[in-house]
Amino acid sequence: MLIITFKRQKCIGCNYCKEIAPKRWQMSKKDGKSNLIGAINKKGFWTIKLGEEERDENERVANACPVKIIEIR
Amino acid sequence: MQQKVELLAPAGNFECMVAAIQGGADAVYFGVEQLNMRARATMNFVIEDLPAIAHLCKQHKVRSYLTLNTIIYDHDISMMRHIVNEVKRTGIDAIIAADQAVISYAFKKGVEVHISTQANITNIETIEFYSHFADVMVLSRELSLNQIKQICKAIEKQQIKGPSGKLVEIEVFAHGALCMAVSGKCHLSLHTQNASANRGVCVQNCRRRYKVIDLEDGHELELDNEYIMSAKDLCTINFIDQLLDTGVKVLKIEGRGKAPDYVKTVTRCYREAIDSYLSNNYTSERVEDWMSRLYNVYNRGFWGGYYLGREMGEWADSSGSQALTKKIYIGKATNYYARSGIGEFLIEAYSVKIGQQVMIIGPTTGVIETTINTLHVNNDGAKESAEKGDYCSFETGIQVRNSDKLYKIVPAKEELSVC
Repeated sequence: MLIITFKRQKCIGCNYCKEIAPKRWQMSKKDGKSNLIGAINKKGFWTIKLGEEERDENERVANACPVKIIEIR
Repeated sequence: MQQKVELLAPAGNFECMVAAIQGGADAVYFGVEQLNMRARATMNFVIEDLPAIAHLCKQHKVRSYLTLNTIIYDHDISMMRHIVNEVKRTGIDAIIAADQAVISYAFKKGVEVHISTQANITNIETIEFYSHFADVMVLSRELSLNQIKQICKAIEKQQIKGPSGKLVEIEVFAHGALCMAVSGKCHLSLHTQNASANRGVCVQNCRRRYKVIDLEDGHELELDNEYIMSAKDLCTINFIDQLLDTGVKVLKIEGRGKAPDYVKTVTRCYREAIDSYLSNNYTSERVEDWMSRLYNVYNRGFWGGYYLGREMGEWADSSGSQALTKKIYIGKATNYYARSGIGEFLIEAYSVKIGQQVMIIGPTTGVIETTINTLHVNNDGAKESAEKGDYCSFETGIQVRNSDKLYKIVPAKEELSVC
């Protein structure tokens, strides 16, 4: 199983996550930060459990993030 | 000779903003959320801080400018508009912008616009272009004094006026870090770490050491200095008379990522320098004094930037600061006795003794520098020193507030073990 954790508050809206995995990441038109689609917010940490099939793509997302706020487990 | 010059100081948080005001700034600039060139700084303000910022600045008759100067993507438009609307609503004085989307929206909303150095203005035609939207323009940092003078003269001659109906004012950087690239337009950080300087997340690759290897034959090129891309910091205080003679109206100090004591010291020095220029009292003795004070806070060594028309930049020879002093956290304020002007502090690390130079920093207090003359420890009366765990009190002169941080000032080379 794959767990993605996203510390949204520190997002600078660079758009890389969306470029790499557009089905999982979307830019908010409201505040310009990224949204992790389907994730649940607990005290600013947005988390989602996914199948292994999304791992490769999202590991590339985590690596590309310039502010390193995406964790993949 | 000019009549009035505005000194514009940076503020990364409330501590720095108060420090800038204490230092004598005429105006402060700051960023909120992620759409500014210091998006990474954890110190950034949030939109909800705007009323407090506007109030603080108005109270001290200081102008406040919000930086909104990254490149803007489509998904940023709504946030950008929200920030501009809030600037208008809360009474922040102007927006510093580079992207046309921001310039156009702020102009339409009737918010005063200043063109950021990120727009790289280097000629009078560009000034004329932006004058349809903006009253103040920050020039590119690579222009020489002569070029700046020509631009200022041409504004006067051609009577180029901004939306306010007044002549366009020229702003330049007077002090602080310089990029190796043309102003902020650098892609090094984007190239290596995906972290775009133009979105405010520069990782400062240029401040590192490098070697150059010839891939054909494997030879390393001989370099005098491994920090081949790290420019020294800009300092103009030793020729500020020439800089002001060009006709610039605003001097900006770089450093929204810098500490409050840095902001206060640098602002104070430039305040004194500008005032002495305006009162015909600018002397080499005073320059020496300012320089020695500037060397005490964060710096990579100083040079005059591109203003004096040097052929090559001057590069730093170390990675970090070359400041002569540093501050070490030793405790926090726990009480203040207004009648006697005495502050009480809990020492949480190291020790402190009589004669020690200390600094107190807080979001409302700003920066207080003082020397301990008498020291009362716990309930034991006057003592020579206070240790970790002790409550001690000494005269601060100015009000301190609970949780203000107490630091001691030591020579930069002093080891922690002997502090």
